[in-house]
Amino acid sequence: MRPPRYGVDDSPIFVIDQSRCIGCEACVQACEECGTHRGRSMIHLDRIDRAATTQTAPMICMHCEDPTCAQVCPADAIKQTEGGVVQSALKPRCIGCSNCVLACPFGVPKYVAEFDQMMKCDMCQDRTAEGYAPMCASVCPSEALWYGTVDEFTERRRGTLLDAWLFGRQQVRTKVFTVVDDVSPGPLDALSTGTGTWLDDPFGLEEGT
Amino acid sequence: MTRARSLDRRGVTWGLIAVAVFLALTFFGSDRLVWFDAALVGYLFGTLFAVFGIIYRYAVWLRRPPTMMLNRRGWDAFRANAGRNLVALPSLVATQLLAQGFIRRRSTARWIAHQLVFWGCILAALVTFPLTMGLLHFESVGQQGDRYRVFLSRFGTIDFDAESIFGWLMFHALDVAAVLVLGGVFIFLRRRLRDPGALAVERSGDFLALAGLFAVSVTGLFLTVSSLWLDGRFYSALNTLHALTVVLGLMYIPFGKLFHIFQRPGNLGVAYYKAANEQGPAATCRRCGEPFASAQQIADLQTVLPQVGFDYGIDGGGNYQDTCPRCRRASVTLAQSVRVGGFG
Repeated sequence: MRPPRYGVDDSPIFVIDQSRCIGCEACVQACEECGTHRGRSMIHLDRIDRAATTQTAPMICMHCEDPTCAQVCPADAIKQTEGGVVQSALKPRCIGCSNCVLACPFGVPKYVAEFDQMMKCDMCQDRTAEGYAPMCASVCPSEALWYGTVDEFTERRRGTLLDAWLFGRQQVRTKVFTVVDDVSPGPLDALSTGTGTWLDDPFGLEEGT
Repeated sequence: MTRARSLDRRGVTWGLIAVAVFLALTFFGSDRLVWFDAALVGYLFGTLFAVFGIIYRYAVWLRRPPTMMLNRRGWDAFRANAGRNLVALPSLVATQLLAQGFIRRRSTARWIAHQLVFWGCILAALVTFPLTMGLLHFESVGQQGDRYRVFLSRFGTIDFDAESIFGWLMFHALDVAAVLVLGGVFIFLRRRLRDPGALAVERSGDFLALAGLFAVSVTGLFLTVSSLWLDGRFYSALNTLHALTVVLGLMYIPFGKLFHIFQRPGNLGVAYYKAANEQGPAATCRRCGEPFASAQQIADLQTVLPQVGFDYGIDGGGNYQDTCPRCRRASVTLAQSVRVGGFG
């Protein structure tokens, strides 16, 4: 079956729903195939609490509207495309200071000591520019990483799309969406992690949790 | 309608100072213009524009809050142990700026291409700028037509035989530079035209820089072709064409991709900053309690972030930026799981 190819007018979106991750690492392998960083995966696939659960979660660049990584880059090496994709640091400019690695609220950029530069997911620009899904989304079996139109999402998935986040007092809007169950969602507060409760009641079955 | 941004006053001041210093060097270096070659005046104007533009952009760049912070910290780290850092400097310059091993580890072809362009441009600059400023000229020795002496300003240095290999290299240094640059440009161009990844993140400046280097090198080689094999035919027109490409190239440097030549040495400051930070205390993650970065760099970031419009402070105390990258990812995941009623 040929993969779907989107046109500009389709305005496809990239969605990450970490709660659906099954830890198969297909995204990690597929990411290595991306033309802009061939052979090196930019996906983070973390075990959330290895002692207590097998749950894993992928993290890709969320492509912030006003990227903190770019603002704290002393070399002005991180640029945004007109489409809102925050690119990997420009190789000639990046001076390997790691400011972006330490400032990104999502913990995404990687400092690659071998090349003395920052690298990160650039949303498979070689594929998305041609209308194809990013590598990771094209192989994710559980659709934790998903690429398509809003209509397709509404038709096939449940939940509400959300692109607003809160980190302390800082609100961040992103090009990549996440999924929440709320009907009228406010920003997703990274500090409202319900410490420990999800381990006791991972499927949200108990009242008042 | 947005108002056009006016020029940065401090940048203009530094730019004009640099132009004045350059002109003074030209005036006195050419022994009060005695050895200044008026035929090269076009190149001089191009160079003056480049000097102003580079210093202006550099001054503006240094005033960005993160750049200003890193610049200050880099120098602080250097001065804190000046003796040892000075000893380490030649090795750092050799590995980071000259040998560029970080590019070789990305790709051997790109490293070869970059080394060819880099050394070609260095060689061309070492010849062109002293000639343009009147700092360098040649005189024949006595009545012998085959021996020349190299003069730096009014001071004679070495003699050489024009027919020797050294003499050939002296008079064809710019041809050698052009061949080196063209070799690098072709390797870069091949990658830019064939590598889908490179094409995907292509920026207009990437091709423009290669086109500029190509134009300067080819038109320069045309001059040699004209004088050696065409009895000087078309020389005047080719000379004008070459001067035009060089002047346009010089004017492009401050605004285009080639400005990284002046930004990249900031990497040395980063090396000193990182080395100094390794000696200092580590920042520990507010969530997992593990050390994850230097306390100095985290403190510096928390100074810079409000200056660029971010407030990651937490009501009730603390700062989200005190969280390690792994715990940031975990926090985002856990927060999302709460909003979808748990994992699974």
